[in-house]
Amino acid sequence: MELSTVIVIGVLVLLGFYLVSTYNRLVRLRNQVRNGWRQIDVQLKRRHDLIPNLVETVKDYMAYEQETLRQVIEARSRAVATEGKGPEEALPAEQMLSGALGKLFALMENYPDLKANENVSRLMEELSSTENRIAFSRQHYNDSVMAKNTAVESFPSNLVARLFGFRHAAYFEIDTQERAVPKVSLR
Amino acid sequence: MAERVPCPDCGADNRAGATTCRLCGDPMNATAAAKPAVQRKLLRRTDFVAAAEANRKATTRLVLLLLAIGATLGYVLGWNLEIFIGDALVVTDSYRAYQQPGHDSIWFLSSWGIWAASIILVLSVIWTLIALRQGDRIVLRITGARPVTVEQEPVLHNVVEEMAIAAGIPKPQVVVIETEALNAFATGLSTRRSAVGVTRGLLDALDRDELQGVIGHELGHIVNLDMRYATAVSTLVGLIALVADAAWRVAYVGGRAGAARRVGGRSGGRGGGGGAAVAILILFLVAALAPVFAKLVQMAVSRQREFLADATSVRLTRNPQGLMSALEKLSKQAAPFPGANRATQHLFIVNPFKHFPEKASRLMATHPPLDARIRRLGNLGG
Repeated sequence: MELSTVIVIGVLVLLGFYLVSTYNRLVRLRNQVRNGWRQIDVQLKRRHDLIPNLVETVKDYMAYEQETLRQVIEARSRAVATEGKGPEEALPAEQMLSGALGKLFALMENYPDLKANENVSRLMEELSSTENRIAFSRQHYNDSVMAKNTAVESFPSNLVARLFGFRHAAYFEIDTQERAVPKVSLR
Repeated sequence: MAERVPCPDCGADNRAGATTCRLCGDPMNATAAAKPAVQRKLLRRTDFVAAAEANRKATTRLVLLLLAIGATLGYVLGWNLEIFIGDALVVTDSYRAYQQPGHDSIWFLSSWGIWAASIILVLSVIWTLIALRQGDRIVLRITGARPVTVEQEPVLHNVVEEMAIAAGIPKPQVVVIETEALNAFATGLSTRRSAVGVTRGLLDALDRDELQGVIGHELGHIVNLDMRYATAVSTLVGLIALVADAAWRVAYVGGRAGAARRVGGRSGGRGGGGGAAVAILILFLVAALAPVFAKLVQMAVSRQREFLADATSVRLTRNPQGLMSALEKLSKQAAPFPGANRATQHLFIVNPFKHFPEKASRLMATHPPLDARIRRLGNLGG
């Protein structure tokens, strides 16, 4: 065999290896992004399921905070209605729920009996862990989006991405409003 | 306006009385500033992505260095074997070269050496693969850790789950070691099947943020596949020790044969008598130094992986303060750890041997000094 033939075959084989490995990497990144989104959904659902328990447990102690409790329940039912509808619709409702919950948590500080209740403290731990999980799953989702977008944009993997139709993924943006500490009126 | 003091390292203006520079993170007082240059270079990397990248590169270099040590050892061994028994078995090229007075070939070129080096490299890969197939659960038995349920330890389970979500891996098994000592460990050759363990003392002493930092560090070990690295590296070190042992025997026999030849007055029969003496000297040297170097590299890898796990913890929690204050508490602990031994020490978040002389044997330590780790974490937070 001619030397040039060997070189051409060698280059083609290397190119094939690159194509396969890049394609597989892009598929892995795409699945990571999809799975990241599902994780957020799971945690939001978990929060919805925990809230009725919490409200049920605290309502006897917090007889004077009916308005706040009503807000929490209302925000929850609105968030539940957006389950499975995607980030555009779910996001505002979830933000409202976060705000209402934050207000409730702040008010609960005023009731020492409540904080001493084992049931309540367990529920509080579960809810604050869920808040963390939502934040961490969002963080992981955004990290995955960044990794995928980097692969889709950078040369030469962008050529492979274009060839097989891999697209940008959207970041999960947070409003500054949600990050803000909930206001507590001291009356 | 407060008085300004320039940093001794980078020259940035700092508040008077500041302990570390706000730009490069180096200590401001003169004694602490006298650090080796290489450490300063690593400290200046301020974001965790770059820190993790630098660390991974450092580990790769160290593993390659380990392979190079093994290959060198194999080469010198094969070269000596060729000189001393090659002529009895087959007539090789370099034997012929030795036969010709005034030959122009390179005196240390040996086909047997190249073969031996290749065999060592192949053996290393096979041996490592075998080691990786075997169980990784031994540590759970050795340390006496037992699994806990969600009902028993809800906060610990929640924190582990949160960190697993942040890392994007399945939740590891959660175990607790019933001891007063403050420590934590992780095990698992893949992210699909892993476990994290903490001691009872740690659970009692740390708050939620600190626990999160520690669990993030352990999850970092799992995500970075440090158990694989540790297994691969310790296998390589074992192989090098074994071959070095064989090389000692060859050098011993070869040395005696050479002496006998000179006594018998037959040294003129080989044109390369001088070359053979040099070869055997090199063999002695390599056989003596290779295992020591290999051990040093192993420990260096272990320390790099600790730094990497710290950086990964911050990537997961986005909160360096938690891990920093946890490490500070760990450094002040008094309780000894009864379950610790040399086989499992590298798995823990801090070295479980209490009175480990940090300065004296820094090169042989599995973990970097705690103050260096805290300093780097402070740098990440900036």
